[in-house]
Amino acid sequence: MRVVLAAASTLALAAAPTSAFAVDYLSAEQAAKLMFPDADAFEPRTVTLDAAQLQQLEAQGVRGRSANWSVRIARQGGAALGYVVTDEVIGKVELISYAVGVALDGSIKQIEILAYRESHGFEVRLPAWRRQFVGKNAGSALRVGEDIANISGATLSCTHVTEGVRRIVAVVGLARRVGALPS
Amino acid sequence: MKPTRPRILPMKTLLAASLALAVGSAAAQTATEADLGRRLDELAAELAKVKDQLAQLRQAQPPVAPVAAPAPAPAAAPTATAPAAPPPSYSGSLLGPGTVLTSYGEINYNRPTRASQNTQIDMRRFVLGYQHRFDERTKVVTELEVEHAVSSADDPGEVEVEQAYIERQITPVWAARAGLFLMPVGLLNENHEPTAFYGVERNFVETAIIPSTWREGGFQLVGAFDNGVTVQGGVSTSFDLNKWDATSSEGRESPLGSIHQELAQAKGHDLAVFGAVNWRGVPGLLVGGSLFTGQATQAQAVDKARITLWDVHARWTPGRWDVAALYTRGTISNTAALNAALIGNPTLIPKSFDGYYVQAAYKVWSHEDYALSPFVRWEQFNTAKSYADLGPGLTPEAARAERVVTVGANLQVSQGIVLKADYQRFRENADLNRFNLGLGWSF
Repeated sequence: MRVVLAAASTLALAAAPTSAFAVDYLSAEQAAKLMFPDADAFEPRTVTLDAAQLQQLEAQGVRGRSANWSVRIARQGGAALGYVVTDEVIGKVELISYAVGVALDGSIKQIEILAYRESHGFEVRLPAWRRQFVGKNAGSALRVGEDIANISGATLSCTHVTEGVRRIVAVVGLARRVGALPS
Repeated sequence: MKPTRPRILPMKTLLAASLALAVGSAAAQTATEADLGRRLDELAAELAKVKDQLAQLRQAQPPVAPVAAPAPAPAAAPTATAPAAPPPSYSGSLLGPGTVLTSYGEINYNRPTRASQNTQIDMRRFVLGYQHRFDERTKVVTELEVEHAVSSADDPGEVEVEQAYIERQITPVWAARAGLFLMPVGLLNENHEPTAFYGVERNFVETAIIPSTWREGGFQLVGAFDNGVTVQGGVSTSFDLNKWDATSSEGRESPLGSIHQELAQAKGHDLAVFGAVNWRGVPGLLVGGSLFTGQATQAQAVDKARITLWDVHARWTPGRWDVAALYTRGTISNTAALNAALIGNPTLIPKSFDGYYVQAAYKVWSHEDYALSPFVRWEQFNTAKSYADLGPGLTPEAARAERVVTVGANLQVSQGIVLKADYQRFRENADLNRFNLGLGWSF
């Protein structure tokens, strides 16, 4: 089992959106700063999972989907404060871009919706819905209809964002356990 | 930074070439059992080597979800900060950049318990649609529906355009829609896919009183606010009371369903206005209401008549529970004058009609994508609750409200597939009691 750390320099830096219409609410950089306002730097790092680790996630009921994950490590004076992972899932037919802030202990600090494009279901953006995730960790159910309440008319968006958050929390947890991310 | 498609092909070619060479080499010799054994060992070693190379290649390059590569470009999305992980696969099928194919369908089995000779299996609906995004702010949404499998002069089916509208995001809060769209009424009309409701059949209240799937042509604004309030309102086509067939029972089954126009050469003299407000400020809770009102004689009759339909609804989904309630009421004005010419026919135009239901479901079991949710629904509806006075002996008696209890379960097989079973008991017309099975899908 192995976690490969790719050079951060290979990653493009965040760029602000080119437009500011309804589908775009935050850039990834803005979300990261919102989640960790005390951070003075965000170190980009790519976590690559091998086949055994992907299988391990599957065994936890998490579909790994990808081997490579881009994580921003929030730092203050060099000390790690937590992690920010951006991702995209499908709502019903369109992509939802979102970011998950994870504290050093592996618990969810904050969820932000970066872009929403569906005709229905924008309510996943609402703070009250996103607050349900705060404090939960890889040991939580993180399932709609369990510990996350559904939004009527936005079931697919709720389900898929929740699945995405569960996956990110599991990936970060795995990376912390094997030392790929500071803890 | 968007991932690029890994160059897997050369590795596949290498694998194929290695196997072909090895097999070809083996075939060129006279194979003894020992030779064959040795060749097999060599092949196994080569295969292991190729597997190692493939694994190294996969680690060096980010994989790409097979159908996600041509994903609609979220031009203004934080593309430069998107994860190294590829975008996910679409639940629908990508037809090209910005275009997604969608579909839903349902096949239902209905067995009346007191008249099993009327048992039916029906391809109730088969719907294909596409959504195409012209740019980051503008898209077209369409659905084409075939009901009852076969549509011809000798068959019961229908082919219908269910939705076809353009949506344009105007500001971060407001969007505009124009075209043929579903009316924002009740809980089911805009979310009518079989995976979205409990029971094999759609509930009676949102079929007989609210004529789901109810669509009109027109223009509407949609406002989505940060406090959880969604506001919809606009101008649309209306109903056509000239289509009322007093000799048929259709008007008794669904007053508005029998006179809807569906933008099929719809009469456009009389337009309607509509509005809806929904609040989802508390996770799991939806509270809302809607109003539709418009003239409906389309300048084809001397007398004018206004149709008004409103509803209030709520849905609460705490944890494994899913509880919903809805009340709706419709009225048609000036029916005394309209009915005067229809006296003697079996189905006159009602002055009012209404219905309500309460429903509760509980997810008792789930495993991976499987989820079993038994439910019970009580509904009461009356498609002819009152008639305008036509004078002694001429005014029809109001119908008795039908009351239906539905008990059953939805079994989600995957996120887009559902199996359903239920039993429906009718209080007024027990001959309609029936057992239903259903298969539905949506993506």
